[in-house]
Amino acid sequence: MITAYLKRAYSSFAAHVFDVPPRLLAFLLFVLHLVLPVAKPDPFIQLTVFDIFFLAAFAASWDLLVGRSGQISLGHALFFGIGGYTTGILSVNLGLAPWITIPLAVLVGVSASLLIGLPCSRVKGPYLALVTMALPLILVQLFKLDLLLPITGGEAGVGILLPIIPSAFFRMLGFGSRDAIRAVALATYYFALFLVFAASVILYKIANSKTGMVFVSILDDELASKACGINVTRYKLMALAISSLFAALIGAIRGHFATIVSPGRFLDLTVSFAPVMVAFLGGIGTIYGPLIGAYIYYTLDRFVLQKMTQIPFLAFTDWEHVRFLIFAVIVIVLVIKWPRGIARFVTDKLHDLEEARDLDERGKWIWKTYKKRKKKE
Amino acid sequence: MLQVEDLMVHYNGAIALNGVNIKVEDGEFVGVVGPNGAGKTTLLRAISGVLTEVEPGKKEHPSLSGTITFDGKRIDKLRAWKIVKMGIVHCPERRRPFSEMSTLENLKMGAYLRKDKEGVKKDLKRVYELFPVLKERRNQMSQTLSGGEQQMLAIARALMSKPKLLLIDEPSLGLAPILKEKVLEIIKEIWRSGVTVLLVEQDVSITLAIANRIYILAHGRIATEGTKKELMKDRDVREIYLGL
Repeated sequence: MITAYLKRAYSSFAAHVFDVPPRLLAFLLFVLHLVLPVAKPDPFIQLTVFDIFFLAAFAASWDLLVGRSGQISLGHALFFGIGGYTTGILSVNLGLAPWITIPLAVLVGVSASLLIGLPCSRVKGPYLALVTMALPLILVQLFKLDLLLPITGGEAGVGILLPIIPSAFFRMLGFGSRDAIRAVALATYYFALFLVFAASVILYKIANSKTGMVFVSILDDELASKACGINVTRYKLMALAISSLFAALIGAIRGHFATIVSPGRFLDLTVSFAPVMVAFLGGIGTIYGPLIGAYIYYTLDRFVLQKMTQIPFLAFTDWEHVRFLIFAVIVIVLVIKWPRGIARFVTDKLHDLEEARDLDERGKWIWKTYKKRKKKE
Repeated sequence: MLQVEDLMVHYNGAIALNGVNIKVEDGEFVGVVGPNGAGKTTLLRAISGVLTEVEPGKKEHPSLSGTITFDGKRIDKLRAWKIVKMGIVHCPERRRPFSEMSTLENLKMGAYLRKDKEGVKKDLKRVYELFPVLKERRNQMSQTLSGGEQQMLAIARALMSKPKLLLIDEPSLGLAPILKEKVLEIIKEIWRSGVTVLLVEQDVSITLAIANRIYILAHGRIATEGTKKELMKDRDVREIYLGL
């Protein structure tokens, strides 16, 4: 019975993944992650891969909200940052274990999203985008107030957060101190991989469930959804809550891995725009697309643009901003050329080819019958 | 079954409906005809509760007064999804299929509120019998359907909600004359199977031919009402409103 179940699971997985090239690519990238530590790459690559993980899952949460339910958020850093800061403040100031602070961070993130969503989901237009864009910037300023400075650390941020997997655990198992550090790094890596994969799979499942279809229907036509008896406000809120749940979760865990939560890494505008870019690069509304997008983004960023700084002529002091300008241009070009992202571009092309083949066959059939009839006459 | 009393609707102060009274009895086929801008669509939207929906790009803030009762209960203050639950289903103007979904997924969205899986399956079968084209195209994206097929899909989607009262808004819009007749024939068949229908149309001759009773709407008021015979008797009505 178990083998039959496994067989069924495998065939449904194969039909879902192997038949669609971009999905296959996303899956292969994941497998690459799985075997990467065996190859013992240099720390720089390892760190980059780490960043890709988090950005991919973060962008997937953004994609569920924007690509599926059509509510635009230009400040997803808000939920990411709330997740990071909540766990950071609790962990540093109260010394609570990550297993307690991370769920609390998620709770705070979801409550924040509901507070914002309640007024915003009742109106149409750019209100949610504006509110989410402004709030992280306001939070940064709030964190700099004298009153909050001892708790939030202002510009420097909160540190040092407790590690999720303490090295004491491995020392208890009988590892030497150097082996323990290596074991912690490996365990952390696989934990992050598992987290991102699980988050992406859950988001993908939600996006393709009945609830996900309701999100798409709202994006497509709100009036028609209402006419079908859908409680539009409730579903808009639900999409926002699910998306912020994952964003806060990923933010909280990112905080524990980075050990420091600072405004520049958690609440900055660049943090808000990264998932937008990655989703646009990879394929909006696909959920798995951002993984591909994150790869393109980081490859370009770490291996092309940052190498360019070594050219004397191009050595800017504030490279960060120039970099974003370049990415902005790339995104603009992409939005014009491939408005639905690379993954969507490929699947759409395949679909078109299929349809063209069908039409062709139908045309041939008509032509044949026409000829036959003419012969008869 | 449905009673609309003294219904007034304003869009930013501009009057769209000005004291409309309509009554639909159980099992009736009622038609509403009238020229452009008479308030036909507004009337249906007010009944189904989607009036508050603001079209993207338009800055309309409709306000509504008067009473609408369905099966003895006030529904004019209810949210749209509760009205659908009570059995009033709106098949909107210009079809509005979910363009990113396949035909079958569209139909499933229509049955969104229903919990009885067996009933949904049965209704899907019935819908396919009524519209064989939809069965053929069940896996095709609805945006690639032709205008007539999209209209059929919109009606089919509304049917999947198992309506007691079906509100249909301009099903003949943009259809070839042959298709028009076909679609209206199917609507009549739906009515025969026990669904009360309130049809809004610009095409007077077709509506006269199939509806039991007809209201003529002009400038936000009900100009007159009656059966086909009664309306055709009145020369003024015939010339001014029906153009026959």
